[in-house]
Amino acid sequence: MNAAISYAAIAAVALASALIGFYGLRVSRTTSDFYVASRTVRPWWNASAIGGEYLSAASFLGIAGLILTTGAGGIWFPIGYTAGYLMLLLFVAAPLRRSGAYTIPDFTEARLESRTARLVTSTLVIVIGWFYIVPQLQGAALAVRITTGLPSWAGSLAVAVIVAVVVAAGGMRSITFVQAFQFWLKLTAIAVPVIAMLIIVGGVEPALGAAAAFPATAGPGDLDPYRTVSLMVALLLGTLGLPHVLVRFYTNPDGDAARRTTVIVLVLLSVFYLFPTILGLLGRAFAPDLVASGDADALVLVLPDRLVPGWAGDLLTALVIAGAFAAFLSTSSGLVVSLAGVISQDLLGGSVRGFRIAAVASSFVPLVVALATESTGLAGSVGLVFAFTASTLCPMLLLGIWWRGLTPRGAVSGMLTGAVLSGAAILGGGAIAAAAPGIRPFLEQPAAWTVPAALLVTVVVSRVDRRRRPRGTDAFLARLHTPERVR
Amino acid sequence: MSEPAEPDPAAGRVGPEGRLETSGAEEGGLDTPPSSATRPTPPARVRVTAPRTGATAASARPSTRGRAPAGSEPESVYVRSLIRSQLRLGITYAAGFALATALFVLAIVLSPVLDATFVLGVPLSWLLLAIGVYPLAITVAVLYARAAARNEARYRALTEAE
Repeated sequence: MNAAISYAAIAAVALASALIGFYGLRVSRTTSDFYVASRTVRPWWNASAIGGEYLSAASFLGIAGLILTTGAGGIWFPIGYTAGYLMLLLFVAAPLRRSGAYTIPDFTEARLESRTARLVTSTLVIVIGWFYIVPQLQGAALAVRITTGLPSWAGSLAVAVIVAVVVAAGGMRSITFVQAFQFWLKLTAIAVPVIAMLIIVGGVEPALGAAAAFPATAGPGDLDPYRTVSLMVALLLGTLGLPHVLVRFYTNPDGDAARRTTVIVLVLLSVFYLFPTILGLLGRAFAPDLVASGDADALVLVLPDRLVPGWAGDLLTALVIAGAFAAFLSTSSGLVVSLAGVISQDLLGGSVRGFRIAAVASSFVPLVVALATESTGLAGSVGLVFAFTASTLCPMLLLGIWWRGLTPRGAVSGMLTGAVLSGAAILGGGAIAAAAPGIRPFLEQPAAWTVPAALLVTVVVSRVDRRRRPRGTDAFLARLHTPERVR
Repeated sequence: MSEPAEPDPAAGRVGPEGRLETSGAEEGGLDTPPSSATRPTPPARVRVTAPRTGATAASARPSTRGRAPAGSEPESVYVRSLIRSQLRLGITYAAGFALATALFVLAIVLSPVLDATFVLGVPLSWLLLAIGVYPLAITVAVLYARAAARNEARYRALTEAE
């Protein structure tokens, strides 16, 4: 692969992101500009930005890699990543926008009138954010190693530094433009190579015949009901609690616009995910050797060069590298914005300077983790973060929005229950499963039991604790659900 | 109504809990009450203050509550019924989506002929799973967004009739 082209593509994306970021800085002047873009962002812009922020290394590289290694089971990931927005639309989008809070901890405190609940939420948001950034940096490491031959750490470091600088300098207004730009870049970067390859593959002899590439044992019929349902619970409900996605809803002008934005996001994601899926299917026929070499996640990056000869192949490769870096940069910067908002408000006095310090800190902690650990499949690790989010923040959000019986103690107990159960399953699952192989699926895909457990604990403790129901509950719920104009 | 429906990027805005305060002063004295957000033609300097925690948060919160219907009996009945109908709507559509997806997948799983039919070198069962759920999700989303907006319009009509 031509390293010069890779360098050029990476540099171009980094430069474009920085330029748009600094251009945005000139527009972003007021405080609410800095945090939530003054809520002036239009649905199409906002939806593009949400898509830009959401489509991470797991979407751009991980899905194709997973379909290559596991077959049709991998197709469930993009379905879940997309349908999560349906759940967001049905239960969260409009009320959350109307809550008027800036961050999830702000929402918790306003709803529950409790500092403790706020601190628990903040801690969870920070943990989730960090663990979500780690796969992005690992994706960057993989992409840099495969495409330029540089050592892996160079990719992680480059992404962390760029994100820290752009976020600390520009704040969220500039990020909205960057993110919207990056969605369309990512879509182009994967759609054009896929279409080019589809045109060309007719004349190329596949490495595997159709029957060997798509065996029924890896097909949709070979479905593990528990794992599939649990994965869907994690992905559908995990989307509700993702801090970098939620903060985007505050930039809608009103609740109805928040809903329209979400519908557009669904459409944009549905279109996008067709392409990594097709790429994964192509990979099964044309690049099955990547599975053995352990670089399945690099399929998106190497397949255009293999199938399309000459300079056209080089150009397409440059395009997918640019798209991959857009994915790492946009998701990481979105996460860093929301983490920096939370950290600066809770620990550093909420000033712009505090936000900048927090932005730098939020970029470098995951960098250390990413450098110290090995990637084990990008889509899979992001899936586990979704399971953790679904077990912790999702019950609090859902019940906070829809149930007047929620109390601070109930919310805190539920969040801690979910965190302990899903955290133990994710981190200690390997060790436990070695001792008791029978429960392995329940540890590898914990959401189907950890989410109900967290919900149940939240409800039971709130019931017992019912006298501590926040006094402002009725008024706050009315505010969440009544349309803006009648207020 | 403390929150303009129209976006207003230029003016310093008062946050939901009175967090952001507009002030001409460079440092110090900025105790402008949250309700008196001024909108000077050149954008005023906006100061960021820490989130109001503890006692201050409690004192700031009434501005939030002021926006909610003033607790008159019929209004709160309307609000409760709006919340109930929106929740019912959400659950109905979520269940509908889950059921439709499950049936769709079941149909693919139970039709071995789809595994044996190849389109462009890929079994039809794989292609259907890869493409089929998205149109379903979009349809449910569009229908829900309309229904939810209708619920709100009904609520608006009821409260304005009062």
